[in-house]
Amino acid sequence: MSFIEVKNVSKTFKVSRRRAGAIGAAANFFVPKFEKKEAVKNISFNIEKGEAVGFIGPNGAGKSTTVKMLSGILHPNSGEIKVGGYIPYKQRKAYVGKIGVVFGQKSQLQWDLPVIDSFELLKAIYSVPDDVYRKNLERFTEMLDMSGFIGQPVRQLSLGQRMRADIVAALLHSPEIVFFDEPTIGVDVVGKETIRAFIRELNRQDGVTMIFTTHDMRDIEKTCRRLIIINEGEKIYDGALSALREMYGTTRRLEVAFSEKVDLPGFENVTVENLENNKKRFTFENNKVQINELMNRILGEYNVRDINISEPDIETIIQKIYTKKEAEI
Amino acid sequence: MKDVLHLMSMYTKTTAKAWFQYRVDAVLKSLAVFLREATGIIVIWFTLMKFDNINGWNIYEMVFLFSLLFLTYGIMIIFFTGLRDFGNTVRSGSFDRFILRPRGLLFQIIFVNSDWFAALGHGGLGITLFLISAWKVGINWSLTNALYYIFTIAGGVLIQGAVFLTLATLNIFMLQTNSLKELLYWNMRKFAGYPISIFNKAIQIFMIYVMPFAFVNYFPAQFLLRKSDMSYSEIYMYLTPIVGTVMYLAAYLFWRFGIRFYKSSGN
Amino acid sequence: MSLRPYLAYAKKIFLNRSAYRFDNVMGIISTCLQFFIFWEIYKALYGTSTDIDGITMPMVTTNFILSMGLGAIFSPDDYFLPSKIWDGSIATEFLRPISFKGRMIAENVGNALFNLLFRFLPCLIIALFTVGVNAPASPAMLALFVLSAVLGFGVLWTISFAVQMTAFWLINIWSLITIKNVLINVLSGSMIPLWFMPRELTAILNFMPFSSVYFTPVQIYLGQLSFEEIMLKCGIQLAWIIVIYLLGDILWRKGQKKLIVQGG
Repeated sequence: MSFIEVKNVSKTFKVSRRRAGAIGAAANFFVPKFEKKEAVKNISFNIEKGEAVGFIGPNGAGKSTTVKMLSGILHPNSGEIKVGGYIPYKQRKAYVGKIGVVFGQKSQLQWDLPVIDSFELLKAIYSVPDDVYRKNLERFTEMLDMSGFIGQPVRQLSLGQRMRADIVAALLHSPEIVFFDEPTIGVDVVGKETIRAFIRELNRQDGVTMIFTTHDMRDIEKTCRRLIIINEGEKIYDGALSALREMYGTTRRLEVAFSEKVDLPGFENVTVENLENNKKRFTFENNKVQINELMNRILGEYNVRDINISEPDIETIIQKIYTKKEAEI
Repeated sequence: MKDVLHLMSMYTKTTAKAWFQYRVDAVLKSLAVFLREATGIIVIWFTLMKFDNINGWNIYEMVFLFSLLFLTYGIMIIFFTGLRDFGNTVRSGSFDRFILRPRGLLFQIIFVNSDWFAALGHGGLGITLFLISAWKVGINWSLTNALYYIFTIAGGVLIQGAVFLTLATLNIFMLQTNSLKELLYWNMRKFAGYPISIFNKAIQIFMIYVMPFAFVNYFPAQFLLRKSDMSYSEIYMYLTPIVGTVMYLAAYLFWRFGIRFYKSSGN
Repeated sequence: MSLRPYLAYAKKIFLNRSAYRFDNVMGIISTCLQFFIFWEIYKALYGTSTDIDGITMPMVTTNFILSMGLGAIFSPDDYFLPSKIWDGSIATEFLRPISFKGRMIAENVGNALFNLLFRFLPCLIIALFTVGVNAPASPAMLALFVLSAVLGFGVLWTISFAVQMTAFWLINIWSLITIKNVLINVLSGSMIPLWFMPRELTAILNFMPFSSVYFTPVQIYLGQLSFEEIMLKCGIQLAWIIVIYLLGDILWRKGQKKLIVQGG
């Protein structure tokens, strides 16, 4: 049995449909009209203790809904969820003491008060024993370099500082599972790096199980080995990050700067684009076209100033999967 | 239990600390609430300096009528600020956070947002008005009357608590009830300070059966003062505690239902 | 300076408000209800008398519909600046290439126009068909009423403006705003016609800006003032606008400086 088990889970929302006109507005009030929207469709997956799993998908794909179901905020309409032996939405009080949740868009800190006051309050809410609290606080403050602003009111913090404080707030009670819902949103590059390093450390050293949703693929690359992609409520990929690259990252791009203006014959399975300064871009699949053959032909027949090969970054691969242009799974 | 008390004191400490980040505002807060709520009675006071009485009620009797309204509200709001502002809590997503914490939901709603200064303003006004009027309106404070008074206050607290709890639950279903609350509760409350006998029948019925402010102050005041404008059966004077209990129970059941709905629907 | 962006802000607020239809229906009912209940209270107070100190019940009715109607129109957003200081968005506000104060006025005017059409007019029409409202003393008085009402809005706006400026130092000014609104409600004549205020208080009120907001326009409408008095009262309104605005503006300049020095 896995630590987190999600079996055939679906979630449908009722979305109210507005009627037009003043009378319609009143009618909406008394007899609201709803239509159904399937946010999550029949999703299943298992996660083992100590795993770090990235959840990605475009806006409205169902990531947040999945996180909300896993954390017990929402009931699924059908299917089963079990986390560490608990059914989240049924055994709320017992369950939520064992998890931590960071919502990047919604701070849980007291806006008007110094960070430390929020921590003290959380200690009371979760009944964290003194020694555990002190140990966690010291360690996390050190790791996230927070001693400089822990005494400052939250409203005076930068977004990156606030996010770091929010992450600590979710961890003070030593949760076994942590959900990160877009923990780097709006944070600058340096801040992101600090947060990623911290999360990686937490997963590797403490063995905390983590689920991580984000828009930023770099977050996932730096923290998770496994990736689940959701699009339009459906799971479309579940596996190692490295495997994804091997499977879908077959496109290669060759940019060649010629010494003079050239007329090229067509190459089979290669798209050619003209760029400025006698530059041309060749795009092809490395399982259909032998790259050394192509390069030999070009270098052999023309004068070349510069040449550059690139493989697609992970963003491009993901983009490709969403649009399903090539990746018919 | 000790744990819960500790948490309650932490919540209170945090709230108070947050207020005192803005010292001027905190210091003025009780005064501001006191003045805002006293607006109605100040207006009546000035008016009755000119007109002497309204439908047979003199200024002290009017003050007594008002005091019931504010005492009950002052006690109620100690526990119900969170429910009054529950719409914002849901809209801002803070309610999700409450669900994620290993504590009772109603407990969190009540203690996270408790507003002691406002309660002090309301309750302080109620007590002030009571002290001004209680011995000038000819009430014999016998044991029976005192007991009646205590039960009535409890009933009035429950009635208004039930209204807030119901409106809070409605927030779960449609998110925006501010204008409904403004219309049903705040507007009517401005006029609940007057004897309902001066209003036309429709408003009277509204204040007895829909937003039953009449049970919070008019009928109880009639029991103690026996004014001649009372046109309803004497039974109404004894119903306040019952109305309060029934309304509160119904509101609580509605709330339980609403929470289940929230989890199944989200927003 | 182009007016176009400000018109756009005013329009935006107007359209935003129209989107909440249910709220608007409720708002109209609320305003009417408030008026009717005050009307009932005064009917009970008047009992069988036709006039008290020369003030008749229809005059009282007209006072309430006008001052409450104007009150419904004039609802400046008291938290326009404070909310932006509190959540820190004030820093980005100053980066916009338009005047912050200009935008504040534009949004309030857009709001007032909306309230004029969808609060005041419906309530006025309902009142006309139910309890009746006195006609203006003359067409000229109606025109002067409008002028004075606009000045009244100016007084109300500058008071709100000046109070909001204290947020640069105090950040959270809920209490101050609440106290300000209590003073306006009680002393401006919107809840108790100033005719019935005790004489001593009226004397003090003459030295305060509150009666300029609603009571001056109402008196003009009812034809209670001679032409000279009207000119004097409108002059007083104008004087209050200037004095309070200048006061607010001093705070505004100092506040901005403070914001820059301390970085919020």
